[in-house]
Amino acid sequence: MPLNSSPSDAIERYPVSPLRMEVDRFVLPAVTLFITLLLFFFMLFPLFAILKLSFFKGGEFAVANFTLANFQKYFTTAYTVRALWHSLYVSIVTMIIVTVIIFFFAYAMTRTTIAGKGFFRNIIMMPLVAPSITQALALIYLFGRNGLITAHLIRTEWSIYGPIGIIISEVLYCLPHAYVILYTTLSAVDIRLDEAAESLGATPFKVFTRITLPSAKYGILSAAALTFNLTITDFGNPVVIGGDYNVLATEIYAQVTNLYRFDLGATISIILLVPSLMVFLFNYYISRKTFSMISGAAKPVIPPSRLLKKIGFTVFCSLISFGIILIFVIVVLGSFVKVWPYDWTLTFKHYHFPSIAGYSALWTSVWVSLVVGIVGAFITLVAAYVMETRKPLFKQFIYLLSVMPAAIPGLVMGLGYVLAFNKSYYFFYGTPWIVVINNIICNFTLGILSGISTLRNIDPSIEEASISLGGDTLRTFFKIIFPLSRVAFFQTFLYFFMRSMTTISAVIFLVSATVHLAAIEIIMLDNDGWTASANAMCTCIILIVLVVLGLLKIVSLKTGGRRTGLTAEV
Amino acid sequence: MKKTVFSIFCIMIALAVGAVPASAKDKVVVYTSLENEEVVDYLELAKKDLPDLDIQAIRLSTGELGARMMAEKDNPQADCVWGWAVTNMAEFVPKGMLTVYRPAGWDKIPAKFKDPDGYWTASDTYEAALVVNTKVMEEKKLPMPKGWKDLLNPVYKGMLIMPNPASSGTGFLQIASLLVLMDPDYKNKPVEQNKAWDFLKELDKNMGQYIKSGSKPAKLAAAGEYAIGCSFAFVYASLKKQGFPVSLVLPEEGVGYELEANGLLKGAKNEKAAKKFLDWAIGESAMKRYATFKLGVTYPGSRTSGSAGL
Repeated sequence: MPLNSSPSDAIERYPVSPLRMEVDRFVLPAVTLFITLLLFFFMLFPLFAILKLSFFKGGEFAVANFTLANFQKYFTTAYTVRALWHSLYVSIVTMIIVTVIIFFFAYAMTRTTIAGKGFFRNIIMMPLVAPSITQALALIYLFGRNGLITAHLIRTEWSIYGPIGIIISEVLYCLPHAYVILYTTLSAVDIRLDEAAESLGATPFKVFTRITLPSAKYGILSAAALTFNLTITDFGNPVVIGGDYNVLATEIYAQVTNLYRFDLGATISIILLVPSLMVFLFNYYISRKTFSMISGAAKPVIPPSRLLKKIGFTVFCSLISFGIILIFVIVVLGSFVKVWPYDWTLTFKHYHFPSIAGYSALWTSVWVSLVVGIVGAFITLVAAYVMETRKPLFKQFIYLLSVMPAAIPGLVMGLGYVLAFNKSYYFFYGTPWIVVINNIICNFTLGILSGISTLRNIDPSIEEASISLGGDTLRTFFKIIFPLSRVAFFQTFLYFFMRSMTTISAVIFLVSATVHLAAIEIIMLDNDGWTASANAMCTCIILIVLVVLGLLKIVSLKTGGRRTGLTAEV
Repeated sequence: MKKTVFSIFCIMIALAVGAVPASAKDKVVVYTSLENEEVVDYLELAKKDLPDLDIQAIRLSTGELGARMMAEKDNPQADCVWGWAVTNMAEFVPKGMLTVYRPAGWDKIPAKFKDPDGYWTASDTYEAALVVNTKVMEEKKLPMPKGWKDLLNPVYKGMLIMPNPASSGTGFLQIASLLVLMDPDYKNKPVEQNKAWDFLKELDKNMGQYIKSGSKPAKLAAAGEYAIGCSFAFVYASLKKQGFPVSLVLPEEGVGYELEANGLLKGAKNEKAAKKFLDWAIGESAMKRYATFKLGVTYPGSRTSGSAGL
């Protein structure tokens, strides 16, 4: 290309052809339009299909067809109404337990000088690498009707099936999610307030109730809201350990797959959507408040804790960590024991999966998750860039659209996909691509939020410099923004990858003869009574996620990035 | 460094895209409710017998499979259904879900095992039975049941488990056979007035759990989670082989059995390949393999009692 510049002229170092400049003017609107359409078509359209089927006779959209018959049927059938109360009960109890536990755990990590914090921090994050069915599988091996502890150590008739089982498994599953929020809150609140109160003569108890608790209240509420949402939308744990105790998520699945009542399934989806949407909005409101509480002068130095306090918190954190480790140990052990709990010979035979898909499901999951990770992290970064720094028209609207997926239960989204896209002209239906799309959309919120917070940390003058030096949108993005957000990109990739490897609820309606997924294989194996093989599949997933996590850590260390790990995650 | 990261991602994307299989073989999508362990075994044989077919299959319980096929009615994802309860298959005929196809060797199958019009052809039978954990029975000093009626004994409270008839073909078969066995007059009255319902209400008091799959009750009984699993006969043989302390009870009131049949789905996208598969599914080679799992197969001359160990 002929250069009409002198080497000293910095402004013309990057010559741009007129065509490229023409194209550049359309890049931003085109990208904005693409993201909006993506969310419209793959989020709102499936939701609309569910609304249509639950409120209109035969799913035909017309005023004359409007009916509340489905809701009437739901609320007049004792068995299905029970699912709502069950769901609310287990979710509220789980929420209270998790919030209390995690508050003290995060308190121990941020306000005390106990030893082994790094260890505890890593352990509390562990549940993120496993599907939300792991807890239930392990608990049944320990406390089932023929559990190691219930039937063989203390020989009791009592077993864990039912609400107790759901609550305990959900508590163990939700800990890391709530921890991230409360850890951030507690480490951001200015600790000098506590010190000041103490030096003014307040008792430790008074400091705790008057200073520590109130200053963290928004974090506490936000953690509680998230736990509630995770529990009420979870499918894996209740379906395995719930026994005959039905919750909304399992009831949707039962109505659709056992009774072929898509209309009732859609109706229950709406009923599930209401509390989860309300809690999401509440959380959204809360998390805005949280920011105002965070003081820039937060001081990280912690005064040495008293011995008794240290012992107490060490014991407490050890107990929680023990519970989490136990789950993982039992699942891994259970996958190697020949006949639990009769024959303790170790064997690999459960790894010869007695299913059609077997290992191919695992590989499909890995490839799908890699694509989800890369494409998801990229799209959300682009979307965040467009929204945050280029301020397109309707910015607020697009922002609202892109945080909405967090409010939609995976199972509901999955059902919506079946209802909306099961047409011969949607060529992607029944291929792995629908799973890819579903996973990207379901986890869009977190990608966007992490993208936005990263971009806020990039000095806008760097970008301005690029543009004033003649860099067009594409060049600025790829040469400036993308490299600078590399660490965040890795983290978002990891998040998408883990979610896609471990999610059950979002994709259970989307697996088919051509697309088998590992997390769903766990459910299917367990359904058919191959519990040990279900454990084996679970172990494989955990192993793969851990390997990818390790690889990513090495890559990000090599490329000089900051800490990329589970703690830096979310 | 930037290039390294970039190239790593390029490689990952390339691999991911490359992972989508591009097979030169004829694809056929098969839905089945046969037990997973059978299917794995049969499909291995099918791959040998039909080397030019790329068989993609999914295994779901009888009810789940029916719901899935109904949901996909306007956009069928499968080409044929294989080893699916005849009761459900017969319901599919008037719903227009199936296409007439008489596979090669259709004439050899006795008339009572196939649809006269050729919508479906049965290949084997399976029998409702009770699988009992002998160790649990010993520990809890429970009497061995002889049949369904013994299960009403209050000592079994919470010890029984059976499949949910809404999702499981086995569960449906158990209820259907009880309706016939418990009420000799069943033909002359509406099904709501059948005496078996009173029996089932009583049985419900002892039932520990209703579960989705037909084989899981047997497996949970084997694992000691429950004492007695209402399940079907052949799953017992494989549990025994694996070393579980189980024994089989064929109810003294009579054994309900169900045919498992194959059919071609309407709107099949790979009809030619599906027909090849259906031919194979009632052929001698497949039937012989079925007989190693099942008590009865419909192919004349095949061994009708296999390794089920009865």
